[in-house]
Amino acid sequence: MMKRILCLCVCVFAVMAAAHAATDADVAALAREVAGKGWIVYGARGDNGTWDLFVSRPDGTQRRNITNTPDFEEAAPRVSHDGTKMLYRRLAKGTTINHDQWGFQGSLMISNPDGTNPVAVGGEGEFPWASWSPDGRQVLCLTKKAIQFVDLATKKVVREIPRQGIYQQLFMSPDGQWLCGTANLKGESWTVVRVNVADGALNAVRSFQNCTPDWFPDSKRIILSSRPSGQPGNNGGGFTQLWMADGDGQNQQLIYGEDGFHIYGGVLSPDGLYVVFTKGPKDGSGAEKAGAPIGVMRLSDAPTITGESADLRKVHPATKDGPVLMLETGWEPVWTYTEIGAAK
Amino acid sequence: MTRYLCVAAAIALLCVSCAKKKDDGADPKVTTLGKFEVTAELAEIPGEFVDKPLYDYAFVMKYKVLKVHRGKVDGDTIYVGHYNPLKPRDQVADARVPEVGGNVKQFRVGDVHRMALEVPIEDCYMGGIINRYFDKGVGPIYWAVWTNQATRD
Repeated sequence: MMKRILCLCVCVFAVMAAAHAATDADVAALAREVAGKGWIVYGARGDNGTWDLFVSRPDGTQRRNITNTPDFEEAAPRVSHDGTKMLYRRLAKGTTINHDQWGFQGSLMISNPDGTNPVAVGGEGEFPWASWSPDGRQVLCLTKKAIQFVDLATKKVVREIPRQGIYQQLFMSPDGQWLCGTANLKGESWTVVRVNVADGALNAVRSFQNCTPDWFPDSKRIILSSRPSGQPGNNGGGFTQLWMADGDGQNQQLIYGEDGFHIYGGVLSPDGLYVVFTKGPKDGSGAEKAGAPIGVMRLSDAPTITGESADLRKVHPATKDGPVLMLETGWEPVWTYTEIGAAK
Repeated sequence: MTRYLCVAAAIALLCVSCAKKKDDGADPKVTTLGKFEVTAELAEIPGEFVDKPLYDYAFVMKYKVLKVHRGKVDGDTIYVGHYNPLKPRDQVADARVPEVGGNVKQFRVGDVHRMALEVPIEDCYMGGIINRYFDKGVGPIYWAVWTNQATRD
């Protein structure tokens, strides 16, 4: 009798799990859908053992190493909004990339988006947390004293605004009107904030254990990683999930999560229809080692939860659970529609 | 008689060794680093430290100032942010914050510290700051550059 009940429980559970899971066919359909939509650019360990920059189609095909420098570690690529340039950081060989301090590490490099013609813009630690202005003529830098707008042609600081507690991951909205970053605010660290570029006004987007914010193409919403409180998993520490919110903090919504995994580095495709991120079992996104598997999903499938994720499903009972396409291992992926070109 | 003398000498010796040795905490670092230098009693640690080795942070604690050695410090209560407070001060310096240190092994309420300080903390440190006094509107928040154990005068 007991065995029968157990079997029944297992069957019910299996049916429930199957109901949640997207099928292989769903994943294959997603792969076909995104295959021709530009390129994913990311850092990963090359055959030479160091971090290099790689590109692949969003379905994981046509992967190739575009820097292949055995004497350096290269990571954190960001393609300019017009798609003509790419910036990244180049670190001395053997340097461990710190998942929270990488913006302070190494030299700022600017190259063509396919990795050719790399030029060191500054020395070690200079131009910290550099990211693109909308026109690609300036980079924003985050220093202890201020947020600096640096003209790339002259390398001069053309404007400064107070950093107001922002300490990492500073990015400007595609329309140039806003900044987002990770900050100390009202006694709470790890708060994602938005800053009005015109007047410096700052507002919280999401408080308590958030980081890696980035802009939606519409400059209105922000994607970020968040580890909400109250999660019993991971010895009460919980797991990091992918969220989105309006720039003013309204309409906060789960995009993707799975108990047992930390989701970091979320960015949108240029059309805002897809999301790319990394998903690793260990906190910190794997920057210190070899990164974590890269995932791709449709934004229209948010919120999606994969795996059993009993704790997460309790909090988010109504999920769409669309397909998630898992690619190679990497770190800090970005998505560009710039036609980087086929393998040489 | 000799026996009495020996006992008295032993008691005196015991008293001397039991008496706490005075230590003003001064060393070449704490007396030169930062713009401020105080001896202060750790009055309060607001809640538990965060024990997540993957994440660096500064934690703001409340001190009662006993003596100001350098700089102008207003009031007898100050709020000081210590970097990664679970680490002994002689092991706390790292790539992000290379110039902090001292000989304090552990933060305990009631202990007396001689500290070299800077202010405001945001000008000295760019990272997570846990400030559980924020709602009380206290300030400024000092940044602990060097923290040595000391005894009361």
